[in-house]
Amino acid sequence: MNQPKKKVGVFSITCDEGCSIYLIEIFNKKLVGWLEKMEIKYFLSMKDKVEIKDFDIVLIEGVISSERDLREVIKIRENTKILIAMGTCAMTAFPSGQRNNFNAEQLERIQPKLKEFSYLPKCLALKDAVTVDDNIPGCPIDEKKFIEVFEKHLNA
Amino acid sequence: MHTCDLNVSINKLSKIEGHADLDVVIKDGKVVDVDLRVMENLRFFEEAVKGQSALAVPTLVSRICGTCSIAHLTACTEAVEKTLGIKITEQTSVLRKLTMHSLMIRDHALHLYFFVAPDLFGVDSALDIPEEHKELIHQALHVKEAGNNLSTLVAGRSVHATYEMVGGFSHVPEKEKIAPTIEELRSIRPMVLDLCEIFYKCDWELKRKTNFVALVTDDFSYLEGKIKSTTGAVIEEKNYWDHLHKVIIPYSQASGFEFEGEEFMVGSLARLNLNKDAMHADTKRDAAKYLAVFPSDNIYHNNLAQAVEILHSIDHSIELLQKYDFKKEEIVKPTVMDGEGVGVIEAPRGTLYYWLGVNGGKVRYANLIIPTAQNLVNMREDVRQAVTNLCALDDDRTVLENKIRKEMEKMIRAYDPCMSCASHFLKINWK
Ligand code: SF4
Repeated sequence: MNQPKKKVGVFSITCDEGCSIYLIEIFNKKLVGWLEKMEIKYFLSMKDKVEIKDFDIVLIEGVISSERDLREVIKIRENTKILIAMGTCAMTAFPSGQRNNFNAEQLERIQPKLKEFSYLPKCLALKDAVTVDDNIPGCPIDEKKFIEVFEKHLNA
Repeated sequence: MHTCDLNVSINKLSKIEGHADLDVVIKDGKVVDVDLRVMENLRFFEEAVKGQSALAVPTLVSRICGTCSIAHLTACTEAVEKTLGIKITEQTSVLRKLTMHSLMIRDHALHLYFFVAPDLFGVDSALDIPEEHKELIHQALHVKEAGNNLSTLVAGRSVHATYEMVGGFSHVPEKEKIAPTIEELRSIRPMVLDLCEIFYKCDWELKRKTNFVALVTDDFSYLEGKIKSTTGAVIEEKNYWDHLHKVIIPYSQASGFEFEGEEFMVGSLARLNLNKDAMHADTKRDAAKYLAVFPSDNIYHNNLAQAVEILHSIDHSIELLQKYDFKKEEIVKPTVMDGEGVGVIEAPRGTLYYWLGVNGGKVRYANLIIPTAQNLVNMREDVRQAVTNLCALDDDRTVLENKIRKEMEKMIRAYDPCMSCASHFLKINWK
């Protein structure tokens, strides 16, 4: 029996998008096989946006830096069965959340920007805001680990 | 000719690097406002580098951008070396050229096959390309993989490379992997020639007289040379700051730039317009028909220029891999711990400038100018021109609006903009 294809979303919040770029490199070898089991519903690097709704698996890279990021992550969580933190940023808030380590003087200098664009006082890792089902470490993601974790959920 | 009023907003342009929004306001059939806003959240690199060891800063700034991390790593490494009196060896220079070529191959391939090709077939994503053209996607995966493998061989990894460092490379390519790498590069050559043909035949056109600027290098290796412009300027790398001027873009998280008071464009099209004669002999032989297109004022020829650059990067890499006998070398140590230095390279999307000030081995300030930021003003003017052209057609309002939406995304994509990069203009601190 053929299982219905899993609906997959890849989202980027505050970061350098290194993990999703590396994911597209992992696709070089894996995409053709995976497409038999999945449908990519959301991936701004590859297609136009669609509504955030009804995902089976979502991968998020980056840190939650602004109120807008936070709203987006909460909405994604409400609309996916599995949420995977992709890369060290999403797991630990670093390196993209480097401002969390700034000293008082540095913080004062960036304060106006934080206000102007409604940034949160500190950058958050995904797990600080929502429930995370799985993690793929690395900066960028470790290829073997990605394949292992992603295929586990794809085949579930 | 239209006399309508229309506001077109595009939230989150897709198939570009990073996040950007676009608003176009038309009053009485005339474009009165074009707002192209970079919507990336800031990560405050200008602060993060302060007080850090100069030797560690290239790795830190490589996190500005995932897709062209190698470009940031290389430009910043060069700036640190020039600041600390480090003279790199010939082998390091060759490895660095190979590293840059590997970046060009995979980054341009990503842009052309995944971001632009869907527009050629009128589909949303590379995954939806019609069955009879599916071969193109298989080719895309091969070409990208060859670039990726070359990066892994010379630099350790294609994103956030680990071997390249201040003063040299920590590893040299393994001998037994060189022949298969050359083989793989040879195998993608015909695919890249097919890609050139596709963009040669593509009839998209938007012409507007503008100025082109690039770092012109003797062997088209993206690394050492003079900054030149189509208006005839020839500038030493270290004097760039006298010619580039910042332009504030309201509500955007990035600024734009002018070159000697005028808008300009950087990137593949600029490089080919200014320096196509320096390309590899094999590329000039096999891509003669495509090279004859340049110089060109058609912004869409940036796509063709990228395809030709992939070919050149393949050919130059094959030559370098064949010629050199790589041996383990010591990393060259700094001779001074204070000073300032400039590193300028051609990143995939254009000229990338780094200027560092270092005290006692620690970074005191950093100023960098990103290709996409340099292109923002030109991009905005191209949007204005393209919308004006569309308004001159006799479409009804809804058709016009849809055309504007589609055409603007397509045109902005031709620049291959990188918004993650553009939001990280580092502010200069003179003290
Ligand atoms: S973990 Fe590293 S590669 Fe991934 S998004 Fe963060 S900075 Fe980029």
